[in-house]
Amino acid sequence: MGLDLKPILQREKTKLESFTSKVIAIDAYNAIYQFLAIIRGPDGQHLTDSNGRVTSHLSGLFYRNINFLSLGIKPIYVFDGRPPSLKSAEIERRRQIKKEATIKYEKAIFEGNLEEARKFAQQTTAMRDGMVDESKHLLDLFGIPHIQAPSEGEATAAQLTISGNAHATASQDFDSILFGAKKLVRNFTNSGRRKLPNRNTYIDIEPEIIDLQKNLDELKVTREQLVDIGILIGTDFNPDGFERIGPKTALKMVKEHGRLENIPQIQEQLGKIDYKQIREIFLKSEVAPVNNIRFKEVDSDSIINYLVKERNFSQERVETALNRLKKTIEKKSQTLEQWF
Amino acid sequence: MSLVFSAKTSGSDDLKAIISAISTLVEEATFVSTAEGISFRGMDPSHVALIDISWPNSAFEKYECDSDIKFGVRIDEFSKLIKRADKKDSIEISISDDNMLLVTIGKNKKYKMRLIESSATDTPLPKIPYNAKIGLTNTEFDKILGDVQVVSDYLTIRATPTTAEFSGKGDSGEVVIDLEKGSEQLTELSVKEESTGTYSLEYLNPVVKAVGTSVGSITCEYSSAKPLRIEFKVANIGRIHFYLAPRVES
Repeated sequence: MGLDLKPILQREKTKLESFTSKVIAIDAYNAIYQFLAIIRGPDGQHLTDSNGRVTSHLSGLFYRNINFLSLGIKPIYVFDGRPPSLKSAEIERRRQIKKEATIKYEKAIFEGNLEEARKFAQQTTAMRDGMVDESKHLLDLFGIPHIQAPSEGEATAAQLTISGNAHATASQDFDSILFGAKKLVRNFTNSGRRKLPNRNTYIDIEPEIIDLQKNLDELKVTREQLVDIGILIGTDFNPDGFERIGPKTALKMVKEHGRLENIPQIQEQLGKIDYKQIREIFLKSEVAPVNNIRFKEVDSDSIINYLVKERNFSQERVETALNRLKKTIEKKSQTLEQWF
Repeated sequence: MSLVFSAKTSGSDDLKAIISAISTLVEEATFVSTAEGISFRGMDPSHVALIDISWPNSAFEKYECDSDIKFGVRIDEFSKLIKRADKKDSIEISISDDNMLLVTIGKNKKYKMRLIESSATDTPLPKIPYNAKIGLTNTEFDKILGDVQVVSDYLTIRATPTTAEFSGKGDSGEVVIDLEKGSEQLTELSVKEESTGTYSLEYLNPVVKAVGTSVGSITCEYSSAKPLRIEFKVANIGRIHFYLAPRVES
């Protein structure tokens, strides 16, 4: 679970089409992780090639990017670097969850309960060696730029919105807002129809925008104060947060007292965490220098070669998707923006 | 404080044309009313086309507006309601104290319609030089679009000092329609520089049909590989500007 800012932030529903001609900085790990979690067979197993290597991440990246490019959206993928050392507790916590889920998954398979198995399989989702490089390779063939962040990818993605290189960042995690992203788009890489876990119903997932400045104005706090609110609720760097403090209480406390140091009732707990360093991570994070981001042409032949010949994707489906993309690019009118 | 805003048209054709034109691009529309009149500006979601409408106070039978107001409507809801008016019915719009849109059609039909929160941001206008200007009737233009659509999804316009050439090309074949300067169909042709532009019928057709016969003459202005601007006159002094981005040249 990421930072739970949902109850206090205003989110505006939108459509994928509204991002036409805009550059969106995607939290690559977050997106790939979602593909790995969602793109699975009925028993919860990943899609694989003939050598048993997982291909769910490539399938997600392929179809999503076809979709983005068809709509004239310009995605940039930002990959995480080394996590800050304060994240180790959270990383360990996630490892534990996966370990437990693996045991539960095997039990469910043994009992023949596919629905349960699928649910636990999703919780075991982990990035394995090679997936990042494979993903970057596929992006290269699409001519889509990717950036390696020195540390947290969300920080570099946020910087891209601040420098005007990107319109918004895309991630499921609210952390991006604390990193200063001017606009955060959620449900960007997974919009569309999705089956609800444990139920035979489908829901339509629509992208939603969270505008940092609008929210700060609405809540009447500064970004520094929003970071303090995050620390009270619990971030990746202090996953437990503070006892009995949820988003609304946190907001109230920070508005009343201004900053963590001035909230009397939390001082004992505050002494136990490195809150100053957590603030630094969000407010003064190390980011990758970005210059001349270039989008290149889609190399259809190489994509077919890689996905069909090397990774056993269906030739027909890959070619159909690429042809559809080619047609829409050819047909496309330009947008008026370049003349404003 | 109760603010005064009311605008009354003498017939219903102009308002119908304006609302239909807007409905080809957006689902929600925010209108701005000032002492000078009513205006609207909006783009389709993929930002290929833009509509800019200016409807001055003098075009109305009666117009009052104390202070600037914005009001947002769902265009399909508004459109259905306006269509209930006969050609000769006057239409009066105003805002009620409980923030609803009041629409009075003719003498005795009074609608009250919900307003929506306006989410409109300020849309700029494309800044482009226009090297070619072609004037023709909307009926003629509509006919040309129909002729081209038989073979193509795109209309190419080439203007020289002496001819306006409309053409299209598709998988099944191609078509060229030439209009000479001075011909009956061509009400105006002024060309600073020979210009060629290609535009999507997917956007042109609906708006030309929507505006329909109520506008008479229209003017198309453009430059090579730049957006097209079509001006539709409304009630002699009001106008709809329709901007359309050119097709990507391949």
